[in-house]
Amino acid sequence: MAEVHIIGQIVGASGFPDHSLFCKWGIHTGGAWKILAGIREGQTQVDNPQNHDVAFFSHPIDVHFATKGLQGWPKLHFQVWHQDSFGRNELYGYGFCHIPTSPGIHKLECPTWRPSGTYLDQVSQSFLGGGPQLKNPELIYSGADRYKLHTIAMGNVHLQVGVILRNFDKFGIEC
Amino acid sequence: MAASSVFLLMVGGQIESAEFPEFDNLYCRYCLTYGQDWLITSGLEDGLTQITKKSQDERQQFVWNFPIDVTFKSTNPHGWPQLVVHCYGPDVFGTEVVRGYGVCHIPITPGRHKVRLPMFVPESSSSLQKFTSWFLGRRPEYVDARVVSQGEGREVTRVRSQGFVNVSFNVVMKDMKKLGYDVLPSDVSTVNVPENVGMTTAEA
Repeated sequence: MAEVHIIGQIVGASGFPDHSLFCKWGIHTGGAWKILAGIREGQTQVDNPQNHDVAFFSHPIDVHFATKGLQGWPKLHFQVWHQDSFGRNELYGYGFCHIPTSPGIHKLECPTWRPSGTYLDQVSQSFLGGGPQLKNPELIYSGADRYKLHTIAMGNVHLQVGVILRNFDKFGIEC
Repeated sequence: MAASSVFLLMVGGQIESAEFPEFDNLYCRYCLTYGQDWLITSGLEDGLTQITKKSQDERQQFVWNFPIDVTFKSTNPHGWPQLVVHCYGPDVFGTEVVRGYGVCHIPITPGRHKVRLPMFVPESSSSLQKFTSWFLGRRPEYVDARVVSQGEGREVTRVRSQGFVNVSFNVVMKDMKKLGYDVLPSDVSTVNVPENVGMTTAEA
């Protein structure tokens, strides 16, 4: 079986309306993929930057996959949350990106979005906070039912991903 | 047979400098963390730099120029080594206070790499602790700096990021390709790009 190592970091997030952000992340793969070692989902620290507008997480990722097929290449998905001074959490954005298929170090920028809801939702959100969230988080990384949503752009998540492949050339796969 | 499944990773580099506009004196520690399959064959696992003063020009830089030279051996890239850097400096009373933790993986590709590590300090979790830490002049810090290189249990920590540390690496590997590992795109690393590629836009 061919193997993939994903070694990298969720560096940070920027471009969101407020500071004090954290991020829930996960790796989604197809059925042919098996995890051999490492953690495939987690949550970063909450960062409230002192004097710049990028929240840094420096969250390490180190996952080892084995695979029988190329379908369902791993995807990283995120939920960026805002934590206020009372410890209340508010959703700020969803996003996903594919793990690059070529080996090496990649710097990735993942744009994020959140559901905008109806006009009434938006008015109540501007006064009360909160806002609509996805009932089914699978929508973050699948395209099937996206057309039902109305969304609005949020900030970016910054990633640094190193990819090491093993035995792909043995099976004639060129990456 | 066991010996042939081992690859080597040689890392040379230096902790070059730091950017912390609000402080005057800083020193820094580094340590290397790695997984179970990894072993250091030569070099130091941790180190401690000199105390340096901020440069008196517009760069406002702390220069350490501190060498890192270490060689690892391993059978599995999982648990790839990470560099943990933590900076300390005296506060107004002269006690040593932590000024930032930072972490990055050793680059997984051979060659020269420059990394700008964002640094952060943990925050008190309650306002009472915030007050007592202000009153006693003791900032919260991690008991073991190695926790910043772990992905688990981070959701409980709140941090404030301030400043950067610049690190450069030179990475050499041995026997990775022999064991079937690809760290660089196979055809990109061998392809010959003709010199006229990308020249068409210049003429227009």
